[in-house]
Amino acid sequence: MTDLLVDLGRNATARRLIGALGLPLPLPTALRRGRGPMPALCLADQSVVVGAAGAGGLVPMLAETLAAAGARPLLAGWSMDAFVGPGEAYGRPPRAAESLAEGQRVDALVFDASGLDGSDALAALHGFFQPWVGRVARSGRVLLLGRPADDPALTSGAAAAQSSLDGFVKSLAKELGRHGVTANLLRVEPGAEGRAGAVVRWLLTNRSAFVSGQALRVSLAAAGEASAAVVRPLEKRVALVTGAAQGIGAATARALAAEGAHVLCLDRPQEEAAATALARELGGTAVAADLSDPASIAAVVAAVAALGGVDVVVHNAGVTRDRTMARMKREHWDAVLAVNLRAVLALDAALDPLLREGGRVVCLSSIAGIAGNVGQTAYAASKAALIGWVRARARELGARGVAVNAVAPGFIETRMTAAVPVAIREAGRRLSALGQGGLPEDVAATITFLAGPAGLGVTGQTLRVCGGAFLGA
Amino acid sequence: MNKQDGRRAVVVTGARTPFVKAFGDFTTMDTIALGVAASRGALARAGLGVRDVDAVVWGGVILPSGSPNVGREIALDLGLDPRAEAMTVTRACASGLQAITLAAAAIERGEADVVLCGGSDSTSNAEIKLPQKVVHALAPLALGKPTTADYLGVLSQLWPITDLLPRQPKIAERSTGEVMGQAAERMATRNEISRAAQDAFALRSHQRAAAAIASGRFDDELVEVTTPEGKVVRVDGLVRGDTTLEKLGRLRAAFAKEGTLTAGNSSALTDGGAAVVLMSEAKARALGLRPKAAFRSWAYVGVDPADQLLMGPALAMPLALERAGLSLADIDLVDLHEAFAAQVLSVLKMLASDAFAQARLGRAAAVGAVADERLNVHGGSLALGHPFGATGARMVTTMANELARSGKKTALLGICAAGGLGAAAVLEAVD
Repeated sequence: MTDLLVDLGRNATARRLIGALGLPLPLPTALRRGRGPMPALCLADQSVVVGAAGAGGLVPMLAETLAAAGARPLLAGWSMDAFVGPGEAYGRPPRAAESLAEGQRVDALVFDASGLDGSDALAALHGFFQPWVGRVARSGRVLLLGRPADDPALTSGAAAAQSSLDGFVKSLAKELGRHGVTANLLRVEPGAEGRAGAVVRWLLTNRSAFVSGQALRVSLAAAGEASAAVVRPLEKRVALVTGAAQGIGAATARALAAEGAHVLCLDRPQEEAAATALARELGGTAVAADLSDPASIAAVVAAVAALGGVDVVVHNAGVTRDRTMARMKREHWDAVLAVNLRAVLALDAALDPLLREGGRVVCLSSIAGIAGNVGQTAYAASKAALIGWVRARARELGARGVAVNAVAPGFIETRMTAAVPVAIREAGRRLSALGQGGLPEDVAATITFLAGPAGLGVTGQTLRVCGGAFLGA
Repeated sequence: MNKQDGRRAVVVTGARTPFVKAFGDFTTMDTIALGVAASRGALARAGLGVRDVDAVVWGGVILPSGSPNVGREIALDLGLDPRAEAMTVTRACASGLQAITLAAAAIERGEADVVLCGGSDSTSNAEIKLPQKVVHALAPLALGKPTTADYLGVLSQLWPITDLLPRQPKIAERSTGEVMGQAAERMATRNEISRAAQDAFALRSHQRAAAAIASGRFDDELVEVTTPEGKVVRVDGLVRGDTTLEKLGRLRAAFAKEGTLTAGNSSALTDGGAAVVLMSEAKARALGLRPKAAFRSWAYVGVDPADQLLMGPALAMPLALERAGLSLADIDLVDLHEAFAAQVLSVLKMLASDAFAQARLGRAAAVGAVADERLNVHGGSLALGHPFGATGARMVTTMANELARSGKKTALLGICAAGGLGAAAVLEAVD
């Protein structure tokens, strides 16, 4: 899929020309994306400006995470103490952010806002970000850390301050998006700090390039020990991907396999050739099953059982039968709900005994399920249902160490969206902070993150991979 | 290793050629010739004849492509009994130590009683290679019965001409493309090692090496070498006992514009060889030889070359200590290969850091600070030079002699190597 504006934006002359002519063309920034398996030093030599407010309770976690991932911490108005030890251990000594040469850009800004406890404290946000936002490199990262605003232990003032972060980070995402810079918020429940590092790391890598304006929460809801495995964390794991033959499903199968998983590539019998080719390429196993048919579930269970169980289930298969409600026939309605919802519920129930401890389930929701769309009552209902499903399943499976989440893609450049009329397609791309569509690889990278050990602290949530789409935000 | 059964491997003697700057006096001597010179000296000092050696284990980095089993060539050139088998090992700058620990393992398993081991390298004789593109293009001409069309085909493939120029050999990491000096330069920055500290360490190395030479301390380690041109080389060529901080401070950065590494605080390309005679303790006693040292433990480790290429000893030395059942406080002498002053100082800093021990070694407290008077007591590679394969054998020889002379009990060796490798060994005195 080519995006003319992104291509033009890559060309400096074209950028200047469009600027000189005063054309009202918002040129999106080509995003820097990581390829292949995650390297051990996934933030190698990245300069990260770090600040904190109040007690800075998440700073020790941050110091350890950044140094171990190879980042260079630059401290803005914050004590170096917590960074000295990790700096020594990993050869990443902290420096004062002010020591940075004039005009030199940084790769990321990270602010620990967990200590914000009242209205006056919010000035710290201005104090940290105002001088630095303009210095973030293209396709850079902004990350805020906070505490859950619904924590009953918070004073009402602190709750207000923590709640302010949502509006702040979403606005920042919209302001910085045209430079390809993402801004996200990570809320860390007290006690879950040990699980936050892996999430921080992922949110700062080039794998989260299309995730912007989002809030994630790290909790202790799923049982288990935080794992330090960064490289090939899915080795010796079995992953089932439904709808694996094309688009996001195929990209997800590839990404999971790149991290070591044995992938069961499931698709309809009509797609068997593609699914088989993919499975062969990935050293996985192909499964032909029509999920709209309840009888197919048994075949899937048999394929999973043959591998001795499953660690990762990605419910990616989905169909659309877009009609306005007035024109939607019952068969259309049923077709959408059969695959998008009923099959997910049935498959999860059937696979439950085969889902191993510490497993991961990821459902593909959609921003249509969050924002709604003309002609998508059935589709949006099915996708919104999954948001509730993962929330409930996370509670049910938490004790087994299983994390259950949904990802909600925004406009992704796939065969499906290529068929959309041009005006709607352009609107889908441009009505977002990053001003462009995402790639199947962006969704695949997000699923792979949630499917790995890094996802332990994240459960019951829906993460949008939408480039900061304005819809439903 | 059980001391009672007499199978413990002991260092009987060691000898090395003088270490000479590349393209100096040894230019026409290849690594085999340098190995022969060192080995002949070691065998003579142990009073061994051609029938006394069971095996040769040799280490080298720049191996001649026509005869990569340098160890066997040395055995043959020495005129050893043809039944003395031989092998060659390569583990970058730890090759010499690798050869020796392999020999020790063979002796302790009962495979041999007397092993000649060590290493050599001739940087002056690094082969300049044709680009692979040329090799592939020329294959039809070299390997088949070429037709005119083949010749024309080759010509068309050999364009543009710049692809044909032989490449300067350089010590670059295959995986990262980074030259070793650049890696050390990054380590200097990341571990906050200043230019002044590096220069001071280099000065110390030269001063200690010069003092050792002046005192005659190296006399029983060095062998005289007569070059093919008839020149007799008796002394190490790189040691500058009269250098000063001012002189070192004037040198320009060698690997980065604003860098801190210079030719003065980096080890130089060097030609040389070093050999050690290792025996089972029982054999040595039977021959009436006094063992100088035995290996209490050794350890080899790997780290990500893209991270801190030369930090290996900071992981290998604690591991060797652990295997020896010793702590740093029990160690009388520490010999740390000086590839770059920045690398030595980085490793020392890591060893002394609690945070490093906790994060990287899973230990509560630091391995410890190495006391200056115990460290590289007779200088190191910065002053003496670093013929890659020979360095490990030089260190083993010097430390074994030091233990035998001083009455000290233990020595810890550490070597960093290309590919992100680290090596270490604990030597102990033999009564």
